[in-house]
Amino acid sequence: MNRRRVLAIGAAMLALGTSSASMMSSAFAQDAPVEITMLTMGNKPTNGRLEAMLEKLNERLIAQANAKLNLFYIEWADWQTQYNVQLLSGDDNVDLVATATDWLYAWENAEKGAFLPLSEDMLKTHAPKTWAQVDAAGHWDLTKLADGNIYFMPEDNYTQYTNHGFFYRGDWAKEAGFENGEITKFEDFTKYFEWVKANKPDAYPWDVAGANEAALTGYMQGHTDFQTLQGVSAGNYAPFQTKASDPYTITSWYMEGDALIEAAKLAKQWNDIGVWREDALNYDGDTREEFYAGLTGAEQHHTQTFVTQIVHNMNAKQPGSDPKFYYWGEENGNFFKDIFTHGAMAVSTYSRNPEKALEVYDLIRNDKENYMLFNYGIEGEDYIIREDGVLDRPEGFDSSTMSLDTNYWWGRMDEFEPARTTDAPNKAELIDELNATAKDYPYSTLIINKSAIEPTLAAMAGVLSEYIPQLQYGKFEDPAAAVAEMREKLAAVGYEDARASIQADIDAWATARGLK
Amino acid sequence: MAHEDSPRRRKSLLRKVVDSRILLLMCAPAIVFFVVFNYAPLPGIWIAFTNFNYRDGIFGSPFVGFKNFEFLFKSGQLWMLTRNTILYNLAFIILGNILQIAIAIMLNEIRLKFFRKISQGVMFLPFFISAVLVGVIAFNLLNYDTGALNALIKQTGGDPIKIYSTAGLWPIIIIMVHLWQSTGYGSIVYFAAIMGIDKGLYEAAAIDGASAWQRIRHVTLPSLKPTFIILVLFSLGGIMHGNFGLFWNLVGNNAALFQTTDIIETSVYRMVLSQNNFTTSTAVGLYQSLFGFALVMIANGIVRRINKDYALF
Repeated sequence: MNRRRVLAIGAAMLALGTSSASMMSSAFAQDAPVEITMLTMGNKPTNGRLEAMLEKLNERLIAQANAKLNLFYIEWADWQTQYNVQLLSGDDNVDLVATATDWLYAWENAEKGAFLPLSEDMLKTHAPKTWAQVDAAGHWDLTKLADGNIYFMPEDNYTQYTNHGFFYRGDWAKEAGFENGEITKFEDFTKYFEWVKANKPDAYPWDVAGANEAALTGYMQGHTDFQTLQGVSAGNYAPFQTKASDPYTITSWYMEGDALIEAAKLAKQWNDIGVWREDALNYDGDTREEFYAGLTGAEQHHTQTFVTQIVHNMNAKQPGSDPKFYYWGEENGNFFKDIFTHGAMAVSTYSRNPEKALEVYDLIRNDKENYMLFNYGIEGEDYIIREDGVLDRPEGFDSSTMSLDTNYWWGRMDEFEPARTTDAPNKAELIDELNATAKDYPYSTLIINKSAIEPTLAAMAGVLSEYIPQLQYGKFEDPAAAVAEMREKLAAVGYEDARASIQADIDAWATARGLK
Repeated sequence: MAHEDSPRRRKSLLRKVVDSRILLLMCAPAIVFFVVFNYAPLPGIWIAFTNFNYRDGIFGSPFVGFKNFEFLFKSGQLWMLTRNTILYNLAFIILGNILQIAIAIMLNEIRLKFFRKISQGVMFLPFFISAVLVGVIAFNLLNYDTGALNALIKQTGGDPIKIYSTAGLWPIIIIMVHLWQSTGYGSIVYFAAIMGIDKGLYEAAAIDGASAWQRIRHVTLPSLKPTFIILVLFSLGGIMHGNFGLFWNLVGNNAALFQTTDIIETSVYRMVLSQNNFTTSTAVGLYQSLFGFALVMIANGIVRRINKDYALF
């Protein structure tokens, strides 16, 4: 153990000349700034803007906390594996770790000991503003494991919706016979897709690449009151649900009811129409760009993407296309607000300067000037603020070559976020509409004991990854028979044991809160 | 006695090392490679028997016995994976070697040196094409909507074939692509072996009135037998290891084809990639290694029984 640690430090010193230099000098001089490394997600930018911004930001951080920040990127290729392997490696060069409970394995890694437990005293002393804000909102409970310790700081003060749905073209929908070009029901897309197929020979109605299950989950969400449990996944699938009408009984929409069969039949109908490529599963093109180029009638992602990218780009690249968004559960209000731990920041167990790391995070999250630097770069070079207060880019700015890409999704603050020229003009209306109907996710504090059921989940993932993509693309002659076969196999690999185990977790959770 | 012996023996070992220091130095990279990548990670097998977590590490994590292996049997995939892996490799080994020998003999019969070099070069070329590119080329040839093959069929009035959802076609496709990539390379070894055959044998056969076909049948083929056996034995050692890059890039996540295309390695890769599941994947890896080890021992045993000189050990 000791030898490994020494080796790791040695390798680290070799790898990061600067850090070893600062370590050495800090041993001699008290006032050398401490270097803090933040792990973030994304491809490391190479256009020099990041370095220019960090230089300015670090001047401020040195003055404010005698610390310097640099970034470590987990790149998108194979990011799930890379992220977990990086945390597993025990690298003591990383201090702050970006995480999330619903998509970045925060609970798993907290349980496995990758994150330092953060005591109240530590937070109050070294991240006082973050502490006060999260405490006032009452959100610290959302970050605790069963041991009662806080493991990360949530991005709980930032409004965004990441509920999924279809982006489609209002101009085409209008011609297809939809009033105002608005589609509000999942199965109405059949009519839209048929029209695109018949009238737009260059475009696929919905060009989609690789494994996907939107045609199934989108339908089920809008036709049942199933509520998907987050944070317990079998591969790429979230197989456990409750029902709004029976919120403390664990079930699965893959196992119960007829909705999956109906959805699979609709998918088969779409496949027969030719909505997607026959070989969609092996296709890996960039369908977002195809949407911008008018080569697909629909594209599938979430609200945040729609209001920050799709509308702006479609208006620029397909003028008059009137981009619209239909979201799963629009017809019956069965969708959720984002949870507060969709983005969060943890401190690595192996950090040599956890207190300093907290101070740096607190300063980026709560000091407006630092915040703007870190998120948008240098004013006048990377962005400008128009007279009406809207954030714009300087003339000649090309987002594909000049963006900052700090990808700070781990502590954004509503009050610091400026309106942007790339925002959809109807962003506020859409958010208001969603706010009016979206439900609060009821199980944010439910922690499922996955170690007990991991082998079962892995086996279920094997079954699901075999059947779901084929059901999604309508590849079975008889969808009902395929669903029955899949259910049989899921049962055989231990679905019921896993369900019972989660049921016990939710029973204990609900009893402790007096809900049941 | 032993007291007297040991200094002398130590000395002689030292002497041996000193005497063959150049040879040892030349071996060093290979030795380092195997120690670092094959022996040093061996203790990690322990992960397969634990409920692994970061904090406690490999040996601190709770021991769970064979629980991780249960999954392999429960999923019912184990038999399919083992079957696919072995059948593909048998096809690769048998068809591959036959083709390689045929090509080597044909090359040997080409008298025009220039043409022989060109043929060799052209057949060698596919070996250098990355599997990623092979996957892309295959998709562009075979896909339903825009693929070259189906375009041709449509142009000539036929019905396009849904290749990417017809599992039955894939063993043929994969084997063909594999042979296309590896035959040119493999034939070199046989060609070299043919070059090494005593020319006197051919002259004697010719004097006895043997035709070209008879010379191949009675001189070349028997002389290639030891090479053939050694190469087959070596490939048997890897029979549990598929050609991952090729399978993954041709098939990817297309579950419609798994029944005939999924091999142990693609399955493990998918599991680790989408599951973050170190324990079960280590268990699969261990199963693969043990099964492969048993196969090598059995194959070697059979060969030794037939002809001791041809056995590896």
